[in-house]
Amino acid sequence: MLIRKFKLAALAIFIILAVTACATQVQRVAVNKDIDLSGAWNDTDSRMVSEAMIKDMLDRPWFRNYARKHNRQPAVIVGRIRNLSDEHINVRTFVSDIERAMINSGQINFVASSNQRKEIRSERKDQDINASESTRKAMGQEMGADFMLKGSINTIVDMEGKTQLRYYQIDLNLISLANNRMVWLGQKKIKKLIKNSRLRF
Amino acid sequence: MLMREGQSLRTIPAIAMAGIFLVLGGCATYSQSFRAVERNLLKNDPTGALQALEKQPRSSRDQFLYVCNKAMLLRMLGKFKQSNEEIKKAKAIVQKYSAISVSEQTSSFIINDATRTYIGSPVEQIMLNVYAALNYLQMNDLNGARVEILQEDIRLRALMQDDPDSPLSVDPFARYLSGIIYEDLGEWSDAMIAYRKAYQAYQKHAALYGIAIPQQLKRSLIRMADKVGLYNERRKYEQEFDLHLANLQKGIQNTSELVFIFNNGLAPIKRESSVQVIEPKSGHMIRISLPYYEKRNTPVAYARLYLQSVRPHLKNVPKLVTKTEKVEDISSLEIETLKSQMAAITARALARAVAKDKLSDEASQRNGLAGLIVNIAGVLTERADTRSWLTLPAQIQCARLKAPAGLYSAHVELLDHNNNIVLRRNLGKIKLTTGHNDYLSFRWTSIEATTRN
Repeated sequence: MLIRKFKLAALAIFIILAVTACATQVQRVAVNKDIDLSGAWNDTDSRMVSEAMIKDMLDRPWFRNYARKHNRQPAVIVGRIRNLSDEHINVRTFVSDIERAMINSGQINFVASSNQRKEIRSERKDQDINASESTRKAMGQEMGADFMLKGSINTIVDMEGKTQLRYYQIDLNLISLANNRMVWLGQKKIKKLIKNSRLRF
Repeated sequence: MLMREGQSLRTIPAIAMAGIFLVLGGCATYSQSFRAVERNLLKNDPTGALQALEKQPRSSRDQFLYVCNKAMLLRMLGKFKQSNEEIKKAKAIVQKYSAISVSEQTSSFIINDATRTYIGSPVEQIMLNVYAALNYLQMNDLNGARVEILQEDIRLRALMQDDPDSPLSVDPFARYLSGIIYEDLGEWSDAMIAYRKAYQAYQKHAALYGIAIPQQLKRSLIRMADKVGLYNERRKYEQEFDLHLANLQKGIQNTSELVFIFNNGLAPIKRESSVQVIEPKSGHMIRISLPYYEKRNTPVAYARLYLQSVRPHLKNVPKLVTKTEKVEDISSLEIETLKSQMAAITARALARAVAKDKLSDEASQRNGLAGLIVNIAGVLTERADTRSWLTLPAQIQCARLKAPAGLYSAHVELLDHNNNIVLRRNLGKIKLTTGHNDYLSFRWTSIEATTRN
């Protein structure tokens, strides 16, 4: 009798486990929590790289030299960042992470991108006709950028069986728009060792 | 036959097992269930084929094939973005199920090979990247295509690690396409390396099933060797191919290049070949089923592409014309791949026959009827794994045409082996631009043979 009861209880537990294992589970996690699922480039990499690189950029002599010489903060624009890796990386989110890191540093004037500028210019044109004199914004008063930030994301993949070593190299260059001089060259490397299981149930 | 009470109870697990066999094993093979889709493809109707595909019953084990077929049909409909979304799903399936499953190995050992989750043959996995890259190219996203060829490189390197001596570990068109993309991006040295690898791969594959080295690759090798300053290598290729750069320089003066991809026919289909014998000692029936490929022959040998400028003052200028060459023989690749796997497939089928016979024996010892049922179930569930990506073309053909930038009207002619025109089709207007290549593709799926029962 006792054994029968035990069997029934075990069966019930098994069914409950089986049913709950199949259900979709959603759990909210902190945005800045590091979670790696597949080993591919993710939001954590994007955030960590952009923050570390912009910090490095602002710690270098070019920044102090510029501020001393011109007595103002440099204005920077983000140019093209090429994805040369083997993953479809969303470069736009990486660019916005860089822009955020730069703006939040408070040490750089940041100029809108060419697409954003086009939209703003069209709005200004519209204001010229439709806005009142006191609120109208004049043309030709834009802040020109002093430097352009360009770069690339590269990967080198080494593998043996189910183990993969992914090496990311992110290069960013800050180029002076006045004379094409490269004033800063930043590099950040990430190495990931990914071991895929040989067996599954 | 009368059964005693105890015996009838003992029979139940055996009958239950036979039932499980039948449910899991299924009766129709995958290729047989594909007839509705194929019927639409024979009429060159991808919309109808897509509707038939959606109606087709599918199990989670065959999800890879569903998404791959859907991706190919969406591509045929010009929905390149959606096609790539499906390819992305297929890649995720490959990644998720690449590890060996203990439960599936067990079921394939006692039921049949088709009870395993299908993740594609090596050729099919490479074609995922090839078609994703072609989709990106047709969406003018060169960087997206570049990502795909890098992934393809990783896949090919993994194949090379698994079997370094096999010619099937190198894919000629995958390498050639990489060269085209690198060249288009202006990455000359990478293009040179890719063209060299393609050349080596074509040589290996020529020895295996007789594919010719495309003339366009020979020209690319000479042109690229010249561009990166490898003059000795350029001369070596010129001598080897009996092609001289002086003839090629004229083409370089033009400003635009069109890459035309012609996907010809349908990839071969797997059939089942079975042998049934009666084991004299026990009287049990033993069945062994193995897959083999049957080619779906296409009447079309090659395509001719015509470009006519639409500018009024250039109307009298002769049409530009180019002929496609075979750059990938998917039919032969699939057949050779299966050949290389046959030893393992046969060994598994034999082991399964022994295991099923043993199960029948054990059931017979308890009860004769149970033994018979288990034996029948074992025979019925012994089916060959005939799963393959059936919407792939039999061949990929390619032509590269240099032309001045501008707007053209394009039409294509499909010709048979006797140079008779099989079909003429207007491809509408295309705009050739300077700076980057333009990509155009055409798919023809009519074949001579149809799927049998």
